Amino acid sequence: MTAAFYLAAAIALLATLRVVTGFDAVHALLYLIVSLLAVAVAFFLLGAPFAAALEVLIYAGAVVVLFVFVVMMLNLGEKAAAQEERWLQPGIWIGPAILSGLLLVELLGILWGLPGVPGRAAVTARQVGAALYGPYLLAVELASMLLLAAVVGAYHIGRHRPEEGRDG
Amino acid sequence: MLNADDLLALGPLLALLAATVLTLLLVAVRRSHGLAAGTAAVGLLACLALLPGAARLAPRDVDGLLLLDPAGLFYLGLISLAALATCLMAYAYLERFDGRREEFYVLLLAATLGAGSVVLSDHFAAFFLGLELMSVSLFALIAYPAARQRPLEAGIKYLILAGLSSALLAFGIALIYYDSGSLQFSGFGACFGARPMGATGQAWLLLAGNALLLAGLGFKLSLVPFHLWAPDVYEGAPAPAAGFLATVSKGAIAAMLVRYAGETQLHDQPAMIVLLELAAILSIAAGNLLALLQDNLKRLLAYSSIAHLGYLLVAVIAGGTLGAEAVAYYLLAYFAMNLGAFGVIAALSSGRRDGEGEADRLEDYRGLFWHKPLLAGILTVNLLSLAGIPLTIGFIGKFYLFASGVGAARWLLVAALVAGSIVGLFYYLRVVIVLFARQPAAPAPGIAGNGAAWASALTLSFLALTLVWLGLYPEPAMELIRSVHAPFYRTEVSRLRLRPPPLRPSLRM
Repeated sequence: MTAAFYLAAAIALLATLRVVTGFDAVHALLYLIVSLLAVAVAFFLLGAPFAAALEVLIYAGAVVVLFVFVVMMLNLGEKAAAQEERWLQPGIWIGPAILSGLLLVELLGILWGLPGVPGRAAVTARQVGAALYGPYLLAVELASMLLLAAVVGAYHIGRHRPEEGRDG
Repeated sequence: MLNADDLLALGPLLALLAATVLTLLLVAVRRSHGLAAGTAAVGLLACLALLPGAARLAPRDVDGLLLLDPAGLFYLGLISLAALATCLMAYAYLERFDGRREEFYVLLLAATLGAGSVVLSDHFAAFFLGLELMSVSLFALIAYPAARQRPLEAGIKYLILAGLSSALLAFGIALIYYDSGSLQFSGFGACFGARPMGATGQAWLLLAGNALLLAGLGFKLSLVPFHLWAPDVYEGAPAPAAGFLATVSKGAIAAMLVRYAGETQLHDQPAMIVLLELAAILSIAAGNLLALLQDNLKRLLAYSSIAHLGYLLVAVIAGGTLGAEAVAYYLLAYFAMNLGAFGVIAALSSGRRDGEGEADRLEDYRGLFWHKPLLAGILTVNLLSLAGIPLTIGFIGKFYLFASGVGAARWLLVAALVAGSIVGLFYYLRVVIVLFARQPAAPAPGIAGNGAAWASALTLSFLALTLVWLGLYPEPAMELIRSVHAPFYRTEVSRLRLRPPPLRPSLRM
């Protein structure tokens, strides 16, 4: 159990190190996803399956989707196809694949109860919800305002404005 | 859970929240610059009007997240006044901005709400969310004229550094939580004080957590060595946003630092005090010396604000009731002086067409007195106050800091404060001399011909009058600050703490 946690933590650290030292955005993205998955496994081992699920859904899931959207919108044409071919070379995906393979083995080991499923009481989604809408209600309100401000700011700055000059 | 009294006590914050949403909805229905600015101003006035009601219920602990004590409400009032001044000055500034203007007020209100949550927070969750709300809104305010290159560059710089500082804060908070098992400031205060440093295996965790926390706050306060972003961001940001950034965002963090230090008995950790002392002395030295080299008024004000935050740390380190009062008075002075100075830059820049940049070179101010005596006079008063000349609020504020430093026998810091103020005279007076020079530059288009100029002129005159009035007759402000820091409230707050803490799921390992 402890060993499993440290394995996940080591994978997260290694993958994050590769994110910040890599020069290619796509390399970095692959390692970032591995890092997020490893953190999710660590959360699961600490007795927070709900946080682990959110980590996978929101971070790993949304980051990939956003990136795919950006690639689709920005790089159209033959150049993009050539670039995608370059990305598919084994040198690029082998590292993240090994790391995420390790994570998969670890996860399967946990699920089949090799060294014992987390012994502590898990924090369920129900408890998280009760805390958010009980003592942390004001924090939820503040978080909603944070999202609102971020949306307004992003809308204002990112708005397409053909009528205005490009520079001044 | 919340009850009716809690809602009444939260009234000022709720007013800000309602004003943000209302302004946003009005923008969606009808775009009108005056309507948006007016709604924002009314919302801020409503927040101020609800403060006395909230103060009557203070001190009050709301769900363990916010602690509404009189000192926190005082800072909330100060922040709302600063936001109101920014709102009025931005109204004049944005009148000739040829883009969409209304979002500025939504973001301004959201940033004010964030700052208000920061000064009232008693829990890392509320503090962190408030801080993020403030930073995200500020980043958009800084990059508001997004069609121009320099505001955009400044916005990106601020965004990246705000992200870095949030990461440091989150890491520090995690370490502190791991060691103490509580996210509430008072919850781990006992655990800091009771344990001598190095006595247990985990003391270094607390030390590291607090050091990371101070580094994160240092970025926001632009203390040396975390100050590198400040001049660039101030220079690129539109003047009203720069003034708001210099006052509200820094003031809120400084007020929170005072509360944090008081609640967690930070003064019992000698290592933290040494770090703060180092940051204070370096900030005073670097801020003042680098300001001497500037020929851009916004960069000069940025370096001067680094030095002023160094001065402010003297009172934070001195601690105690006198230290807290000195911080409150100095922040009042600092808000008025910087809002005035940036307001004059905004007023001079507002006549310029979009794309010409701002009136921020020192050359733009040569002989300003001979064609715009009112603005030049106001800027002179602000600069003299920043320099700490007697008969201005800046002098009283510095005197308060000096007294708190002497009271705590922090002689090195007091010496740095005095030496820094002397160096400061040179660069503030250099600007004043330029203002009164005999060869005027080509007259700046300036504030004339702008239908909203009255808002800016009114605000600036009011700020300048406050500076002089509170410099000549500081009693009313001092009385107010002394009453909100009365020791009675401290005992009341500790009585509140005796209640059982609210239910919280334990996520500890």
